[in-house]
Amino acid sequence: MTPGKPRSLLMPSYWFGDVTGGKCTPAGSTDPEYLSRRLEGIRTEMESFCPPAWEAARDCGFVCSRGEYIRVLRELCIFRAEKALGLVAARPEQELIQMVHMRDQLDEAINLVTGRALEWHAARSPEFSRKFHALKGKRALEILLETGSPRVRGIATGMMHLSEIRADLTREIEQTAGEVIPNCTGLVGGIVAARLLAAAGGLEALARLPAGTIQVLGARTALFAHIRSGSSPPKHGIIYQYRGVHGAQKGRRGKVSRTLAAKIALAARIDYFRGERDEGFLDNARAAVERAAGGPGT
Amino acid sequence: MIWIDGVLVSRGEGGVYGERMIRGHRVWDPCRSKLAAYYYLGGEVSLEPWMRVLYLGAAHGTTVSHVSDSAEVVYAVENAYAPMRDLLAVASRRKNIIPLFADAAHPSSYAPLVEEVDLLFQDVAHPDQAGIALMNLPFLRRGGTALIVVKARSIDVTQKPADVVHEVSQKLAESGLISRRVIWLEPYHRDHAILECPKD
Repeated sequence: MTPGKPRSLLMPSYWFGDVTGGKCTPAGSTDPEYLSRRLEGIRTEMESFCPPAWEAARDCGFVCSRGEYIRVLRELCIFRAEKALGLVAARPEQELIQMVHMRDQLDEAINLVTGRALEWHAARSPEFSRKFHALKGKRALEILLETGSPRVRGIATGMMHLSEIRADLTREIEQTAGEVIPNCTGLVGGIVAARLLAAAGGLEALARLPAGTIQVLGARTALFAHIRSGSSPPKHGIIYQYRGVHGAQKGRRGKVSRTLAAKIALAARIDYFRGERDEGFLDNARAAVERAAGGPGT
Repeated sequence: MIWIDGVLVSRGEGGVYGERMIRGHRVWDPCRSKLAAYYYLGGEVSLEPWMRVLYLGAAHGTTVSHVSDSAEVVYAVENAYAPMRDLLAVASRRKNIIPLFADAAHPSSYAPLVEEVDLLFQDVAHPDQAGIALMNLPFLRRGGTALIVVKARSIDVTQKPADVVHEVSQKLAESGLISRRVIWLEPYHRDHAILECPKD
């Protein structure tokens, strides 16, 4: 096999051997790694494609039976798939996606359990009411820690512990996002950037999305309701969670999300292709978003 | 196909995905598998022990495991990360599944590895399902059949499912692949149909 040399039709190559001058030379080994490397050099044109027949591999002297052909081919394909999966898993953004999913799940679990524990507490002490208390997160847990029931206290302690893990995880997400998707993070912060990444399914996928899609990522229900029945289209999806969008004047949020989405699309491409933070780009992008939020034409 | 008291089953090692067993056979649930639904609704293109199958959109390997029970060899193409992991786990215990981590819309990436098959089964969520079927047609032998699941909702949510299916079968017909029969998978799967297309 000469690398770089184009193969003519007279010299077809198969994964199991090469045909030269009407004679087939079998591949040197049935080792999956060897065969996989061999395969890299084989290009197939679908227009003139004719599937390889196992009989050709037998006549070539590569295998003795159909059973052996399938066994070697299967080992090769499993090897290739496992290798490719390993490559995918090694992408740092895959872990970031898992981290942000875990953080959302922790929120849900903490809220559910805390809510149920408050109900339990209320059943034991009738004078307790959730009304007139700003019973959010930590404060609720503190009240539960002072209750008489050791079981409820135990649960509250557990939730306190989970809350600490969540806080640590949040810091870790911010940090990892700053390394993996520095420009997206610079625009909307690590958590929102990581959520966008998770919704797109990966950095490459996010980098290839048009701004219009990024704008409504996470607003699937509203988007399909719009397409189906013509209700008004969603102005924002995940990016609504960014302070600059939900904090903007109501009448301007659409314009802000549009501008922001366009800038995130650019940021994702810089992150994917260059991978470095670009301060010049970030300054310009932030200025554009601010103009959209309060610029001329109000 | 093996039926026990009106229940579709296949013969193989159980416990792949928590499927029920009847008298040592694996129950093949039509609500979980579109191919099983096709057989429940009178689909006649059955799997035979000598058959070579190319399966596009193998997903987690649930249906693939039943096809593997019933056919000689299955070439299973899947291009998403998480399902592929499950598919590999299924393939590790079944000697006749050949897993291909590739995109069915780019058949040249797996073409050198796939031989001529007797049955092409396609279950992919892609806007151009007809195009993918046509691209993969070179793998199907003459006289073989393509079973194409049309997921109407993956092609165009704004159109009526029946119109989408009509469009797909027309696009296939333009390239010479005539759908002999359309089987809607109601009540097992909503807005899904299987086109039965013999290749001549």
